[in-house]
Amino acid sequence: MYLLLLVTWVLLFGHCSTPSRTIQEYQDQIGDTPFDPSRDNPEYTLCDSTNVLHKRAYIQYTGGIKAMEEELFANYEYQPSYSTFSGTFIIRFVVNCRNEAGRYRMQILDEKFQKTTAPKNLVTHILSISKNLNKWNHAVYKGKDHDGYRFITIKMENGQLIKK
Amino acid sequence: MKKIILLVVLITSSSGFAQPNCFVYPEESGERKACELSYKAIEFQQGSKESQMLFDEAIAMGPKFAWAYYQKSVPYFKRGFLYEGLQLLNEAVALEPITYLSYRAYWYWQYRNYALCIQDLEQYYALPKAYMQHTPGGEKDMRILLGLAYAKIGKYAKGIEILKACINDHESEDYVGLADYHSLGVLYVLNKQYEKAIEVLEKQLTVLEDMADTYYYLGLAHKGLSNLKEANIQFNKSLEIFDKQNRFRNTNAGFIVYPSDVKHELGTN
Repeated sequence: MYLLLLVTWVLLFGHCSTPSRTIQEYQDQIGDTPFDPSRDNPEYTLCDSTNVLHKRAYIQYTGGIKAMEEELFANYEYQPSYSTFSGTFIIRFVVNCRNEAGRYRMQILDEKFQKTTAPKNLVTHILSISKNLNKWNHAVYKGKDHDGYRFITIKMENGQLIKK
Repeated sequence: MKKIILLVVLITSSSGFAQPNCFVYPEESGERKACELSYKAIEFQQGSKESQMLFDEAIAMGPKFAWAYYQKSVPYFKRGFLYEGLQLLNEAVALEPITYLSYRAYWYWQYRNYALCIQDLEQYYALPKAYMQHTPGGEKDMRILLGLAYAKIGKYAKGIEILKACINDHESEDYVGLADYHSLGVLYVLNKQYEKAIEVLEKQLTVLEDMADTYYYLGLAHKGLSNLKEANIQFNKSLEIFDKQNRFRNTNAGFIVYPSDVKHELGTN
């Protein structure tokens, strides 16, 4: 019975490679990231979950991208097993009105921007050094403090970080 | 004044570049319906469920109507869903390369894939009917981005050649982008052609005096010629401008300067 259900599910929803041509479920806004107990810290909270901005330019890192990259470089620990990977990590997250970041999500693309995978310990390490970035300044929009979404990209060639 | 007017026109028109006219499609055709639905979709906030669902409807009705894919892709790019954005925009590019290649190149640039950016722009400018394209913000001719992209992969001479040709075209029309001479100057510095760099960076100062980056690169050019005294004068000017709230910020600069870079040159870091 379960197998039958599974087969039906795959037949109904398994053709997701062309998102534009299938009926999709949308969040209220593209990129809304609700709490997921399987990967999010339950202690991380938003100031107003009903109004999280999608205006990435309003969230800045102290010292700019340069300072952020310097931190990533300083914390990155190369391992020979990483050398198989070339591509881009795109890490999305929220910066709440208290300058705390959370709800990290990641996309891994190859050099042609096709979906790919990376060695598991590299993925864990990239996520970890991204989470260590702690100088985010929350969005102030129309004079008010806001939670907001932001993303960063980390580019690599043969397991080495590439500067912007 | 002329420059300001042109810039305003570019900025106000850029968000809706290539807006289609639905009446060119036969009534009752799939494209006509897709076009009308897409206009309905952009009445809702970009990236909202309402707008995305209307775009889906539009695409189902008229799968050959490129603008719907393009419009639907925009929030994905802006919010870090590069893969999803590309799947949509690729459809628009396949249908109408002349309209959308340059926009895809822009996002390749934004996500730092200079090889793909160059590939799209070279393909675009090789099209017989290619016309002048700008960044979505309107501040740069896409040929400036192409030249900067070549510089990003270390091909400085190629970048210089493209920027010079672009600026020459604009000079003949009495309009050069607000930071075009600056971009060319940066490439001359990177290519160690310091005298030429000083020449164009000083020309840049006749266009804009409040861009900190220009003084920094002027400083580097003088330093390259072993004129350390003049170099330090320029580095100090750069730091002064960095302190100004209303200084000019060069969008899509490619080679961004930070106060810490200038301080490093001055040895005060």
